Amino acid sequence: MRKESDIYPPRLASRFLRWFCQRDLLEDVEGDLMQLYAERTNSGRTKAKFQYWRDVLLLFRPGIVRNFLENSNSTNLAMLKNYLKSTWRNLIKYKSFSTINISSLAIGIASCMIIFLFVKDELAFDSMHKKNIYRLCEVQDFPGTETQKVALSMAGMGPTMSADFPELEGYTRFWGFGEQRLQIKGKNEIVDKVVGVDSTFFDVFGFELIHGDPKDQLKDPNDAVITESLALRLFKKADAIGETFTMNDGDETVVIRGVLADIPENSHLQFDMLMNIYTIGAPEEINSRFGNNNLVTYFIVNEKADLGELEEKYPEYLTRVTQREDINDRYKLFLQPLKDVHLASTDIQHDYHNYRKFNGLYIDVFVLVGILILAIAAVNFTNLTTARASYRSKEVGVRKSIGASKSALFNQFLFETIMLSSLAFVIALVLVAIALPSLNSLIGRSLSLWTFFYEPIYFVSAIGLSLVVGAIAGIYPSLRLSSFNTLIVLKGLRLEEKKSFFQSALIVVQFSLALGMIVSTLIVLQQLNFISKKDVGFDKDHLMLVKMNSESQDHYREMKNELLQKSSVMGVTASGQRLGNNFHQWGFKIRKDTALVQFTPSSLYVDFDYFKVHNIELAEGRPFDASIATDDGLAFVINQALADELGLTEPIGAKMGHGFYPDDSLGTIIGVTENFNFNSLHHNVNTLAMVVHKDWWYEEMIVKLSASNVEQGIRDVEDVYGQFIDNYPLKFEFLDDHFNTMYESDKKLAYIITIIAALAVIVGCMGLFGLSAISVRRRIKEIGIRKVMGASSKHLLGLMSKDFALLILISFVIATPITFLFMRDWLENFAFRISINPLIFLFGGVVAFAVAMFTVSFHVLRAVSANPVSALKSE
Amino acid sequence: MKEHSLGEFEEIVLLTVAVLFENAYGITIKEEIEQRLNRGVSVGAMRTALNRLEKKGFLESEFGEATAVRGGKRKRYFKVTPLGKRALDYVMETRKQLWDAIPSVAFDFKFS
Repeated sequence: MRKESDIYPPRLASRFLRWFCQRDLLEDVEGDLMQLYAERTNSGRTKAKFQYWRDVLLLFRPGIVRNFLENSNSTNLAMLKNYLKSTWRNLIKYKSFSTINISSLAIGIASCMIIFLFVKDELAFDSMHKKNIYRLCEVQDFPGTETQKVALSMAGMGPTMSADFPELEGYTRFWGFGEQRLQIKGKNEIVDKVVGVDSTFFDVFGFELIHGDPKDQLKDPNDAVITESLALRLFKKADAIGETFTMNDGDETVVIRGVLADIPENSHLQFDMLMNIYTIGAPEEINSRFGNNNLVTYFIVNEKADLGELEEKYPEYLTRVTQREDINDRYKLFLQPLKDVHLASTDIQHDYHNYRKFNGLYIDVFVLVGILILAIAAVNFTNLTTARASYRSKEVGVRKSIGASKSALFNQFLFETIMLSSLAFVIALVLVAIALPSLNSLIGRSLSLWTFFYEPIYFVSAIGLSLVVGAIAGIYPSLRLSSFNTLIVLKGLRLEEKKSFFQSALIVVQFSLALGMIVSTLIVLQQLNFISKKDVGFDKDHLMLVKMNSESQDHYREMKNELLQKSSVMGVTASGQRLGNNFHQWGFKIRKDTALVQFTPSSLYVDFDYFKVHNIELAEGRPFDASIATDDGLAFVINQALADELGLTEPIGAKMGHGFYPDDSLGTIIGVTENFNFNSLHHNVNTLAMVVHKDWWYEEMIVKLSASNVEQGIRDVEDVYGQFIDNYPLKFEFLDDHFNTMYESDKKLAYIITIIAALAVIVGCMGLFGLSAISVRRRIKEIGIRKVMGASSKHLLGLMSKDFALLILISFVIATPITFLFMRDWLENFAFRISINPLIFLFGGVVAFAVAMFTVSFHVLRAVSANPVSALKSE
Repeated sequence: MKEHSLGEFEEIVLLTVAVLFENAYGITIKEEIEQRLNRGVSVGAMRTALNRLEKKGFLESEFGEATAVRGGKRKRYFKVTPLGKRALDYVMETRKQLWDAIPSVAFDFKFS
């Protein structure tokens, strides 16, 4: 049997035709089309349907399409004009109302947009890489040190794991070589971030090559790839392919085979030059290194791979490649998905190649707050519009009595709210455009409003969202307004506005948010202040960190002596690692009673006067002494944490040495320092062992400048450096600046929270402002009568504010525990933190209360101070 | 003369309606043109032309019978009006005058 749909042409097309076709043409045109369709079905139904559609679409042309405006009820257009006019008149008549109503919605939409841009920017991090990339991480558990997650892995792991496990379809290693000195035509050039990678680098990562073939890079140990701006700096042209240089005065010529577009801001890997990883050793040698963790390994993982299953194979693998019995007690491997590298790495240490990492948990919080602010703004909008209804009851009455139907009134008010919300949307766009530049510089992002225009879907959904908000916000007041009883409103009786639960709940929600944000801001600021003021156990002011290089290594002692002559220099020392990061862990052995114990504390080699220059206090024993010969390499100063961990009754004098020292020629522990915070305050003080090795490669020379003479000091250092060093320009940083940058992301978070708090308070106050205006207006006669009867202004103020005060008290009760839990979680990011002072909540409550009362009293005072006669005689 | 202006396609449609005489409605006109002139005609283009001709007063139309295959919709039959006839005459006349005015050597192409 033939189905109906087989006989009839496509229904949608017919409906479309009926909708647009001129009425008097429709019958025969449609008849023609159906007849044609029937004839055409003989040679294939699908084709006939297609042709039917084509004919219908071709009919959609002037001459056939009806005139929608003319042919529909022409009063509609006139009414539309009238609606526009009354919208405009009402806007003008109630200026303050309209301003509050529109601007609070505009602020809500604007905050939502900004949060959207911010979140989108964070989620788009590393999005140029299309493969299913994972980073190899380790959980290390060494004796004598805290368990830690690290982003480093061993050199041999990349190739062997990828050969052993079919799930891993490719790998590349990323080994930071740091700053390097190149020679180009006899001239020295310093390149900041040089990295050794595998030739598979471009298979794994999607960085854009502007010159050279990605398949053809880093095949030879002496190949290099550089970024465009480095190419422009070194060779004065972008296409530097085929150019050559030598490194560190060596003989090997390195050839540039590719030029990269500059690495984008939203990449966690940042570098200037890629070299072949085998440039520092033969493949057989490097690929069998399993001792140290000094590079980062990335894998392409098969989409279907079961990571849990894969993880079970690691212990066997580790035992096999490292040939160590206890390896699985010390190491656990895990794969971290690429998107977590940026958003979920805050608990990972030794994470040296992770630019701008961010705590992804905040993203959820921001989204939540964004939605809340928008929701509150929308509900405010609804509320104000509804409340304003009573002012327009006469208009409704008149319209009704001359024949406006309920649905016409409904349409009118809906039209009006949608107009207002569109206006709010436009204002929001302007607000965002104005706010973004300063916001960007504050939080160090490059968000752009153009994102909305580049991807129309966002723009359309933003407009759509605003319209929907307008429509939803408009439906309730429209229903109310259109259902007024004509007679009652015309007779001039005021409608008794019930105190709605809805309005009260709204005030509670927005003030809970405002209060929570105020308190959070205070706590975050307090914690940041605590961090910057906390006594970390060493001086970090006026300490100049001068970068060392192969040349300054040789002249360190001479420079030091020369500098110490200057009056602006208080002390000079050197160190293998910079304070502020976790130091590398290192194997030591310590004789405890008669047994030798292995320990892996953080480890630092320094120059003799390190403690004096940094003003680090010793709890016991003595500092290093240059005049004692054994203090070079055979004397150790440990920190209190290590002393406690060792559990020695008398640590001074105990025998200790590097893991590679023969058991019978260990050194001695000569001192114990207080626990100073060499790591960031996010982490506890790890165990630490310090030693002097005069000949080891110092990373930095540390110059303590006289506080009163810093500028002279910098000039002196420049002079002395210039005397000894020819090939490397002076590079230095101050230790306190370094600490400031370390807490940069915490500070940015503080800015963001402060901004959101301000917004929440503003939106909340706007809602309250409007509502209190309405409630005062409603009770204006009551106020007048009370005043005539002799009520004092104070009494009236109390009477009018009582309701609002109660609501704010309720918000206080709701907001306090939620905020407390949130902030406690946040503070747990810091090993060193403030305890939350309950007074802060009280303070926040008082601030919110004061702001609210100020807002409310604005209207109340005006009403109270007005002449009661004018209130009473008005009808 | 402006009142007799006819587009090329309009002229064809008008002529076809005349050719079909009593049986000129949408589909027959379309098929007739397609057959005689060997060109595809879309319903849209044809319908616009018919519409315009009717507005100019060259055609008049009336509803005919409805059939099942047309989904119960009536046919609209077209007929050329006296004004339409005059317009066709006028077009032919002007063309003819033009033809007559061509000097006999103008088309004396030489192919060498």
